[in-house]
Amino acid sequence: MSHRSVQYTSSPLLASKTPIWRSQFIVAVIAAGFLGLVARAAYVQVIDNAFFKRQGTVRFVRTLDLPANRGRILDRNGNILASSVPVPSIWANPEDIERDPVKLKALAKLLGMTSAELDKKLQDEDKIFVWLKRQVDESVAKDIADLKIKGVYDRKEYKRIYPEGESVAHVVGFTNVENLGQEGVELTFNKDLGGKAGSRRVIKDRFGHVVEDIGEMVPPLDGQDLQLSIDSKVQYFAYEKIKESVIANKAAAGSVVVLDVKTGEVLALVNYPSYSPGKRGNLSGAQLRNRALTDTFEPGSTMKPLVVGLALEKGIVKPETMIQTAPGKLQMGTATITDSHPHGLLSVNEVIQKSSNVGTVKIAMQMQPHDMWEIFTQMGLGQKPQVPFPGAVSGKVRAYKTWRPIEQATMSYGYGLSASLFQLAQAYTVFAHDGEMIPMSLVKTNQSQVTGARVFSSEHAAAMRHMLHMVTIPGGTAPKAQTMGYSVGGKTGTAHKVEGKGYASKKYRGFFVGIAPIDNPRIVVAVMVDEPTNGAYFGGDVAAPVFSQTVQQTLRMMGVQPDMAVKPQVVTQVEKESF
Amino acid sequence: MSRVSFLLWLAVMASALYLVRTQYESRSLTTEIDRATNEARRLETENDRLDVERRAQATPLRVEKLAREQLHMRTITPAITQYATVGGAAAPASAEVHP
Repeated sequence: MSHRSVQYTSSPLLASKTPIWRSQFIVAVIAAGFLGLVARAAYVQVIDNAFFKRQGTVRFVRTLDLPANRGRILDRNGNILASSVPVPSIWANPEDIERDPVKLKALAKLLGMTSAELDKKLQDEDKIFVWLKRQVDESVAKDIADLKIKGVYDRKEYKRIYPEGESVAHVVGFTNVENLGQEGVELTFNKDLGGKAGSRRVIKDRFGHVVEDIGEMVPPLDGQDLQLSIDSKVQYFAYEKIKESVIANKAAAGSVVVLDVKTGEVLALVNYPSYSPGKRGNLSGAQLRNRALTDTFEPGSTMKPLVVGLALEKGIVKPETMIQTAPGKLQMGTATITDSHPHGLLSVNEVIQKSSNVGTVKIAMQMQPHDMWEIFTQMGLGQKPQVPFPGAVSGKVRAYKTWRPIEQATMSYGYGLSASLFQLAQAYTVFAHDGEMIPMSLVKTNQSQVTGARVFSSEHAAAMRHMLHMVTIPGGTAPKAQTMGYSVGGKTGTAHKVEGKGYASKKYRGFFVGIAPIDNPRIVVAVMVDEPTNGAYFGGDVAAPVFSQTVQQTLRMMGVQPDMAVKPQVVTQVEKESF
Repeated sequence: MSRVSFLLWLAVMASALYLVRTQYESRSLTTEIDRATNEARRLETENDRLDVERRAQATPLRVEKLAREQLHMRTITPAITQYATVGGAAAPASAEVHP
């Protein structure tokens, strides 16, 4: 057998005859190794690079959320009613939390919970995120950070702050912990206030610094600020006054609505009892109810001016037309309509002034049910108010075709239909705005004068205002509605509360709706006191004084000069005393 | 030929190093911008917070309480108000009389 051999060296020690295939084999193996590397490189770089790209991205690309600020809610003068501020929220990672009993006990105490409650939150070790307490005080967060517990962190969240507190609670409402509106304006305008969060993709280095933006940034869209028509001073004052009246009359609740009759803006809308929107621990339904808009009741005597206004408009009566109301009773079929005091012969003016049921019914029965229904509807009764409020009710005015004569009669003095206090205030703006029904707004309109749909002629609106003024002068039912310096007019109402299927004998609602100043009206104020139990319960006694004070302060704040003589108590000069 | 190649190789190397440097600078500037943006946002929210705090100190409730209790003030009525008209003459509250 012959072997090809290579002589590698001349050294005899090394002189071995190696077969040539061995070297070829080695070369082939190494070449194959390189080929393998090239193939792998091609695979990694070209064929299946997506996986590796993704892995790389996971390690250094981050998507940052850019939270949008929730818009603020402002009053008509730009004062803040609600605003968001960042506050710390405490969270933990149960998987790797340091379970030191002493530290955890201190933590539980700072969080205001028992150790058992804290343990319960931390027991699931599979979780990597659990809220311990959201929206804590800055000082608490600092104390917790000082404990230096591994696995406990804080994160900034936005919390809604309501500096005005109770007085505007029903208007502004509140948001939940996720910053979504739950009540009031916060709920109604949630979409506009909320804004839209943005995002950006970035590359972060190992220190966590952003070093490069990749892709396009989606900028956050901050929520819009919302300027309400509410005047926080008027609102506060009305709240204080209704609160005083509810407490003094041992009543269940009370509401006040103040409307600007030139622009249709709502200047104040208050209810008592109220709540503090920042502390909603133990809220009851009674505190949460925005009664001025959600509670309907039979408007009683406050309906009479609407009926008389219609009678003037239809030419059925004139303000001086005499109507016989003696003997204070009127038989209609089986029912008897009575006046609380018999009055005898009254002019139409006096029917309103003395609030005679018999007189009103005699006028109403000369009209068509359709006309009455139409005027009620035009003045907003039985219609949902245009103010966009959660839970605002439309009240009830039945279709005129179903009215029986006795129902037409009772409706003329406010029984058999229902309305909210806001609707009554709105209806009275027709008298105040020269016979026009103007749209109401809860948002500042920046208009000095709006026009509406004509309901009464200007002349008849003025005649109605004169009658309403007579109610507040001696001889009327509400002299307590008078206020120093300003002429006022309005109508009292006192209604038995409905309980079950009938009327509760000793439960009343006293209210007053009025206009001021009477010749050149600027505001309509409606006041309602629910279930006064301290003796007085007539609207003229429990609600009119609140009206009087609210009108006085509101007109002063609006800069309206008094239109009535006042005995000045201004001390202009002091004579020096002589010895 | 080889000399030209060498020069080109040098140019490529210089450009590559310059690119590295530029990228480094760009990244540190991005970090700076980011830090400044965050600071701006923080100051903005701080400003909002202080606005709310200022308002909380000046609510009608607090103002009235301080005015009454500390300064012994009382609510204004038309009887103790002098109304000035645009002409400059002071008109007392009783100037206009309602019929």
